[in-house]
Amino acid sequence: MLFVPVYIIFIPIFTALVIYLFKNRYINYLALLAQAAITVLLVLYHYTYKGNYGDTLFWFGDWQTIGISLVNDEISESFLFLSVFSWWMVLIYTFEKGKTDHNFLFFLMFLQGVFLGLLQSNDLFNMFVFMELTTIIVTILIAYKKAGDSFRAGIYYLLLNTSGVLMFLIGIILLYNTFGTINVEQIGSLIHLYGEETVIRFSYVLMMGGIAVKSALFPVFTWLPRAHGVAASAISALLSGLVVKGGLYLFIRINGMYAGAAIDYTEFFYWVGAITAVVGVMFALSQKDIKQVLAYHTISQIGIVMMGLSSLHDTAMFYGGFLHIFNHALFKSLLFLGAGIIIKAYKTKKVGEIRGVMRAMPVVSVFMIIGMLSITGAPFFFWFISKSIIKYGIMDSGIKYWILFVVNIGTATSFIKLSQIFFGQKRMTIRLKRLPQRITLMTLAFACVALGNFYIQIGEGFFGLPLQEVTVADWAALFDYALALSIGLAFYKLVIEPDYKPVRYIRNFQMSFETANYLFVVFLVVMTVYFVVL
Amino acid sequence: MDPLLTFIVILVGMYGLSTSKNIIKSVFSVTIMESGVILLFLNLGNLEGGSIPIITQASEIIADPLPQALMITTIVIGSTVTALALMLCIKVFHHYGTVEWREILRRGGGK
Amino acid sequence: MIRNGFLILLLLTLFSVFYFSLQDLAEFGKNSAQYFLDHGLEETGSNNLVTSILLDYRLFDSLFEAGILLIAVSGIIWISKHEIEEKNAEFMIDKFKTPDLFVTFSRLVYPLMLAFGFYIIINGHVSPGGGFQGGAIVATAILILYYIDAEKETNIKMIVTIEKYLYLTILVIASLSFFTRGTFFTNIFDPNTFDTGTQSIYLIVLNVLVGFKVALGLWTIFTAFLKEGR
Repeated sequence: MLFVPVYIIFIPIFTALVIYLFKNRYINYLALLAQAAITVLLVLYHYTYKGNYGDTLFWFGDWQTIGISLVNDEISESFLFLSVFSWWMVLIYTFEKGKTDHNFLFFLMFLQGVFLGLLQSNDLFNMFVFMELTTIIVTILIAYKKAGDSFRAGIYYLLLNTSGVLMFLIGIILLYNTFGTINVEQIGSLIHLYGEETVIRFSYVLMMGGIAVKSALFPVFTWLPRAHGVAASAISALLSGLVVKGGLYLFIRINGMYAGAAIDYTEFFYWVGAITAVVGVMFALSQKDIKQVLAYHTISQIGIVMMGLSSLHDTAMFYGGFLHIFNHALFKSLLFLGAGIIIKAYKTKKVGEIRGVMRAMPVVSVFMIIGMLSITGAPFFFWFISKSIIKYGIMDSGIKYWILFVVNIGTATSFIKLSQIFFGQKRMTIRLKRLPQRITLMTLAFACVALGNFYIQIGEGFFGLPLQEVTVADWAALFDYALALSIGLAFYKLVIEPDYKPVRYIRNFQMSFETANYLFVVFLVVMTVYFVVL
Repeated sequence: MDPLLTFIVILVGMYGLSTSKNIIKSVFSVTIMESGVILLFLNLGNLEGGSIPIITQASEIIADPLPQALMITTIVIGSTVTALALMLCIKVFHHYGTVEWREILRRGGGK
Repeated sequence: MIRNGFLILLLLTLFSVFYFSLQDLAEFGKNSAQYFLDHGLEETGSNNLVTSILLDYRLFDSLFEAGILLIAVSGIIWISKHEIEEKNAEFMIDKFKTPDLFVTFSRLVYPLMLAFGFYIIINGHVSPGGGFQGGAIVATAILILYYIDAEKETNIKMIVTIEKYLYLTILVIASLSFFTRGTFFTNIFDPNTFDTGTQSIYLIVLNVLVGFKVALGLWTIFTAFLKEGR
């Protein structure tokens, strides 16, 4: 059982290579088989080590402290389950009988192995290698359609992320020269010795800079809507739902490593998250392309997660943000996959031109509505729970509370806009009936609903969290939701629908690559001033 | 003060990334930054009077081999990133007829 | 202008903070070379400590390092395939003619480079070099062939397939230690029972495989660019 981390990294990679080499449509089914094998192994692993995660530490080779090690804890293991689940969904969604593209499967399965490695790695340089490998594979997947805008998005993504990851690398060398090791656990146990020194603070800033680019925080988020907007729908679902969360996962891990240095990051990253959330919603409101809307909402949701995560470990708010990662992965995958079906049927991405989905595709519409209810924070859906936890954490600060409310209204407005596609006359051109895609949507929708209603059991079973105190049938909260919806509706009718000049201006706003990098440098310096100088 | 010089190389790369309006120049800037990082690693891993990290009878002090090994990995990663970026750059040129960031972002709706 | 001036100011801030970090490092910085000097040869059988780290202590990293090349090769091949109509393709016609002197010298240098590359790969565990470095040299030697014969056609598909098989072989050989020593990705010969000479057999095999893989990968990437130029 100790070797399960290695197996789940290399089974997908091995499968990917075999699929690439044989180029046979029957061999393609091997992907599903490998996926099943990983799932079984993970479940067994979970039951073996449940409760004593200290035993999961595993070194390659016999040399303690010198080689590379893998380790798991509650957080990484829940991420592992989430990733395997997401890959199941994408695999089933893209699997066409006898037609699946083996090239595509190769990249997809390889990415899974690499991502699972990133989640378990206990070595800083190893993390760097996995981050960079993820960047390269994702670039290829973005450019996979080989259209002009996908190449453009691909190169934008590749260069910006590489420069971010290089910052992470400089942070590694500073730490290595201080402690003589690049093992996360060892550094974590030594870091209190030099916690106040400039070199440790500076390395923290550089690492956070790299992570901010990877997880699309405020000044450096511009690659995300491009990349997620142009990729194929299944890839967008995977990227938005999961791969971006890799950055957030590293945020948790690296901050855990720096815990001994007593760096007070709560306030700073709360505000970074808040600005990210507001800016993301602002851009989402102005967009007319259905995938762009969803991509900008990913940014705003990442901001909300960041608001939660910025609070220290083991506080309620931290778990609010943490649980929202899972929640977001579910409903964003659902929305992207559903949007993919609709786009394919209508042959357009413009929200204004898609009408009458409810009549044309009733089943898909129901699932999409479940996703929309989830993202707007309706009661009986999970976002309602995690939002309540975050709200509880910031209750005593007025302005922080209001920011969350504003983001909520923005989200409601934007999904009122999106929900227009359900009404109107039926204008579909192609009839698509593909069972695997329906199954995927159904599973995701079911997961959304289940998570929202059985949250007490799930919270206790997986994370040992007492969620009983969060009540769903709270009249004040219901009123809150209704209020947000009605303000959103009014805002939509009065401001967004007439398409005033500022809205058009935001829609056409383009951030050039050098400006994005400029902002990255500014962000680095602001962090330096905040964490090192002050 | 060698490490300071290598950090200047990194900063030159960052300056290039934040000012150049041409995709190829951006790719070069990333490469320059990468070279800076590699030099920084090797510099900080070096010891005064240390020899190459190969065990012979005479060696008493050696340079730290770990950064050197890590840098081989970084060089390979860097070269693949450069190759991929240049290939994408060629493709962007085929589609848009230009390699200026502003131009390609402006064209085709710019989404 | 103001923008660039401000940028320089920002970069100077980073620079000064880095300067103070270096001061800290000079005060309590650590150098962990001693461990490798004391144990490197006995534990891995390699005189070259860089090789011992690449192929033993951190073999896990190196596998993904080779994997990155593999992914980039497949990605570049996929991206460079022409399917959609493209504008401006006539700009890319290769008008470059290689000078005769260069061709003649290339013919002379080519076998030497190839031999030098193999030397570096095979002696990776005793002298400077190794699979990655030697592979790059071999790839350069092969690329010189294109100067000698500009019309040379390469069967990319076959090279890519061989490369994938090589990577699979590397993975299998690297994990063989699971059966001999009970742990993944290390030397298959236990240092307690075998001497360094036996251990170095494993290093040579792995170096050769990695070297060929890198050479084929770089060759493919270059060929893809060349095709793009034609």
